[in-house]
Amino acid sequence: MTDLHTAVIDICEAQLDPAAALAFVSDRRFGGIDMFIGKVREHNLGRVVTGISYDLFEPLALRTFQEIGERARKEIGGPMKLYIAHAKGELRIGEIAVIVAAGTPHRDEAFRACRLAIEAVKHEAPIWKQEHYIDGDSAWSEGCSLCEDHRQQEQREAERAAAPGKKTHAHGHEH
Amino acid sequence: MKVRIALFGALRDADPHGFIELDAPEACTIAGLRDLLREHLREHAPHISAGLVQRSAFASNDEILHNHRALPEDGQLAILPPVSGG
Repeated sequence: MTDLHTAVIDICEAQLDPAAALAFVSDRRFGGIDMFIGKVREHNLGRVVTGISYDLFEPLALRTFQEIGERARKEIGGPMKLYIAHAKGELRIGEIAVIVAAGTPHRDEAFRACRLAIEAVKHEAPIWKQEHYIDGDSAWSEGCSLCEDHRQQEQREAERAAAPGKKTHAHGHEH
Repeated sequence: MKVRIALFGALRDADPHGFIELDAPEACTIAGLRDLLREHLREHAPHISAGLVQRSAFASNDEILHNHRALPEDGQLAILPPVSGG
């Protein structure tokens, strides 16, 4: 399929490239483009972060990106180009960890496709983040279980924990 | 059958090789393999919490394999702790 580009990029070989994403989703038919860029930030949960290591199960990650693309296509139901790329390896503060870009005829579909894709990448793709802190300590981030029983349980707990009117994440932790 | 389980994320700390090999019965399900792995880790990597294994999913290169599924014929699997991409 030429209107979906998925990639895992080894940071030792190349940086993620927003210009390449923009070029891929650009099309004469499309007046709306939305792009999400995720970067490594220097603080998390009150600790000073010096870098992040990303570990991926690459064959399944790429297959998951493809499935997410198919889901976005069904959701949008019209012409769309979608670009999903994630970094692997050791990233420093400010480096790009993930790019999702969507091109569609109008802005609403572009926003929706981009949001759907980045949320699915974060919650479903086999990717793990290890934060390194200024004091020399490291920790794997708490994540979303892909195990069916735990996934349902975590979603129920998050729904119970959500305060009325508070915009909640789909599960009980922050990321 | 011999099963090789590739390790990722926090579970890489379970074995420096990056994988664990186990002998599983021919008719084993993923749930059965999870029990075998938990026993193996209790003995060989007691610093890995049983709760982390419970919250992890098994997968082939192509898909998540839920608890009722049989082991893949080639014996190649991965165990995926809770994910945290992006």
